[in-house]
Amino acid sequence: MRIGIDIGGTHTDGVLIAGTRLVAAAKAPTNHDNLLESISAVLQAILTDQDPARVQTLNLSTTLTTNAIVTGRIDPVGMLVVGGPGIAAKHYRIGEHFHLIYGSLDHLGTETSALDEQDLEEAINACCEQGVKCFGVASKFSPRNPAHEDRIREELGDRADFVSLGHLISGQLNFGRRIHTVYYNSAVWRTFRAFAGALAASLQGFDLQAEVNILKADGGAVPLTRAMDAPVQSIFSGPAASVMGILATCTADADLLMLDIGGTTSDIALFAGGEPLLEREGIAIEGRPTLVRAIRVESIGIGGDSLIHLDGAEVKTGPQRLGPCMATGGSAPSLMDALNVLGLADFGQTERSREGLEALAAQHHLEARTLAQAAVDAALNAIAAKIETLVRMVNSKPVYTIHEILEDREITPKKLIVIGGPAAVFKELLAARLGMEVIVPPLHGVANAIGAALARATSHLALTANTSRGQLSAPMLGIFRAIPRGFSLQDAIDEARRLLKADLEQAGVTIAAEEIQITQADAFNMVDGSYTSGKNIRVVAQVRPAVVARLELDAAAVPVRFAGQS
Amino acid sequence: MLKAASSLGVIFFPAFDWAISPTHPEREERLLYTQDQFREEGLFDVEGISEHRPLFATDQDIMRAHFCFPSVDAICTESHRISAGGAIQAARLVLEGETRRAFALVRPPGHHAMKVVHGNRGFCNINIEAVMVEWIRAHYGAKRIAIVDTDCHHGDGTQDVYWHDPDVLFISLHQDGRTLYPGSGFPYENGGPRALGKTINIPLPPRTSDEGYLYALENVVLPILADFKPDLIINSAGQDNHYSDPITNMQFSAQGYARLNELLKPDIAVLEGGYSIKGALPYVNLGICLAMAGCDYSGVREPDFNAAALREEPETMEYIKQSCGPLLDGYFHPARGDFEKQGEYFVRERKIYYDTDGILEKQREELKDCEHCRGLRLIKTSSSQILPCLGVELPIDCCPACEREGYEAFNRKGDEFLVAQMLDQKNKQFAYRPKG
Repeated sequence: MRIGIDIGGTHTDGVLIAGTRLVAAAKAPTNHDNLLESISAVLQAILTDQDPARVQTLNLSTTLTTNAIVTGRIDPVGMLVVGGPGIAAKHYRIGEHFHLIYGSLDHLGTETSALDEQDLEEAINACCEQGVKCFGVASKFSPRNPAHEDRIREELGDRADFVSLGHLISGQLNFGRRIHTVYYNSAVWRTFRAFAGALAASLQGFDLQAEVNILKADGGAVPLTRAMDAPVQSIFSGPAASVMGILATCTADADLLMLDIGGTTSDIALFAGGEPLLEREGIAIEGRPTLVRAIRVESIGIGGDSLIHLDGAEVKTGPQRLGPCMATGGSAPSLMDALNVLGLADFGQTERSREGLEALAAQHHLEARTLAQAAVDAALNAIAAKIETLVRMVNSKPVYTIHEILEDREITPKKLIVIGGPAAVFKELLAARLGMEVIVPPLHGVANAIGAALARATSHLALTANTSRGQLSAPMLGIFRAIPRGFSLQDAIDEARRLLKADLEQAGVTIAAEEIQITQADAFNMVDGSYTSGKNIRVVAQVRPAVVARLELDAAAVPVRFAGQS
Repeated sequence: MLKAASSLGVIFFPAFDWAISPTHPEREERLLYTQDQFREEGLFDVEGISEHRPLFATDQDIMRAHFCFPSVDAICTESHRISAGGAIQAARLVLEGETRRAFALVRPPGHHAMKVVHGNRGFCNINIEAVMVEWIRAHYGAKRIAIVDTDCHHGDGTQDVYWHDPDVLFISLHQDGRTLYPGSGFPYENGGPRALGKTINIPLPPRTSDEGYLYALENVVLPILADFKPDLIINSAGQDNHYSDPITNMQFSAQGYARLNELLKPDIAVLEGGYSIKGALPYVNLGICLAMAGCDYSGVREPDFNAAALREEPETMEYIKQSCGPLLDGYFHPARGDFEKQGEYFVRERKIYYDTDGILEKQREELKDCEHCRGLRLIKTSSSQILPCLGVELPIDCCPACEREGYEAFNRKGDEFLVAQMLDQKNKQFAYRPKG
């Protein structure tokens, strides 16, 4: 059996699944000051009358790292950054302890100026004097040559409790993102470690022997022990859990869209041929782009509690929220109130919705129903525009070969899956506005927890080989070694598959060979003068986000228990 | 985080699956290291710098600019259509106001492709700037356009396409034609009889470096642009003036290229040549992008850059200073060339060699000295590969007499021409003569 827990902003959801059958589901309020309390509450509920020893896997999607960053409960990080020519590293300044160390590498990984040892020593001393114990290390082009980052790690020695090295975080090029990624990774490490320790203790109390995984932003599950090296990957796993929930409860085999309607905002995701699309390079944290792989989710400021207001004669819905809708005790009319007035919803105290809309309408010499209709239309238009932009952007993404320009298939979603609290209310409205088939899957209330429960491992690996220099590198694994001159593209593909599989096995994850996709495989003839000097090979392999099973549809019969409400 | 002062759209299309031949300078690897540099620098994470895919140039797009013999398909592969489509996308972004500026970082290049095309000259099949300029005029009406060719080689193709067009100012800065392919681009080449002074050639001596190049820019190019007042400035942006380029002899740097674009302020730049793919292109392209976006580019520097060692000799600098005065005067008071006239037609007879494809073309051009319009143009061309073909071009302001005469020539049955192509700028008709 598998347990999935999704800690959301308001609720913590939990499910227990046996094979393809939902056994139990529960919800509890999220206590942001004590997440373990919320976890315990749902565990208690879903494990009632169950044998905890039969649970093999527990997957957890948590807002822990996201909240730590948003609320500023993070460690100070000593940033040791080696820039060099190009866009100056100072533009990526982050945190209170940002130090530039002189030195540089070029795009082939050749050292063009040596690391300045004096700069380094001064920077480390300055950090130590201020009690900084966590460090982020990034040098420009470190995936091509980790020498400078490795040297800094060596010099830090036991003066650091934790160090994030850029080339181990991602094999992809992007210096600015590398800086941001190591920063956030080190900033949340201590919080994450404390949580992991407490979680393990807490699970023992339930007699759970299950393997514990954390859900990553790319919808993959990673063993807790391994998540400790890269805790930043667990950021924004909530939307990823929603997407995985779609995969676990719907037939996702065509181009389709997901809309997860919340109170303040809604998330939109796109599936190409049933596969959720990932961010090209990584997700942004506090407006800072990173290399954290993530499912691409567009957020829009439209939710059930979105405020209705007038801008001149134009009726607008959102993106502001002034507390809950009036039907549940709010003070200003919101989208949900408009739906109540139109008779499309019957939520809370509909009478209060009517009073609120009538008061606002009277101020602007309108009918309440006219105002409500305009507010609903504004919300639907905003959603439709966002979807249109997303599809257009995905279809116009840059490509680099003639083959792709000629053969690229256009993504044309014809189906929308709606989840989240007010999903059912929006079903017909969205179908009419978008001209698409709209589906509200059963049990959408705990789809995120189901998604978390059934998510499998994901992974990726970037490998480059330069036969002219006789070098192979797989930076994330710290592999930089010699290869023979005759090393071919096929050799590189085989090696990438082997390394990825071995790395997952080391983490305790077994994956079938055919689950490894090769997403890039290029070999460029390198010419010096007029002679071919070797090949420049680039291979990227990945295990894409997927679920281990799809839930049987009669799952809807299982009631959701409300737990831990005081 | 860096932010662009003026938004920039970059059409980055390295054509990773196309080469002239495996070891040719124009091969798959050419923009690989530029891509690495862009990715590592996070160029497309800079707020206001965006990446776009190319469009695809249709037959009509190409036939607005060229006479392709025997057919468009015989001249253009998909790679050329996408490269031209990259330039079109750049123009679209700017003219639709989606970005303030755009840079088509695409290959293969185009500036050696002339009005008539039989094959590949100097790595170019179709002139991607010309296809773009004609696309702009077709979609947005008449525009005054300045093309400044900063490739190290003389932009003889672009010069030829706009030789008779007074609405397009063509300025080429290049290594002196006595020392480099294609061996042309002298100051006396200053435009056809109806477009005198609208072609400006600025040959620079070998080993010209940043100071000399920028001196010519500031003292010749910028004053001319200030007078011409173009609606759009296009930089035909070759990168082979770089000191590390393997097939030229100049000493320009990435800093110089960035400064050039900061001064020139092109609305659109289109990549041309440049074959120092590891030592120059990653830095030059980064410098151009940052300068066009109005970002600080002071940190962009080649690892082996040494300003003192690259500086031009005092004599070189003196030579450039001496030549700038007459060059500027050549725009304001263009000397009238020795145009041959037969009856009411200006006539040019030329032989053109296509180095890449080994084709020798023989061409006779007749331009009617018309009082009412810019004049009908007839081009009769044959080559070592093909029987005589006819190109008929009616200018944008074509008078009824020239129009009638042009269509008569185009529709004449049983003449000696294997193929005839109509390029009717006035009525926007572009077609090959139907067979039979």
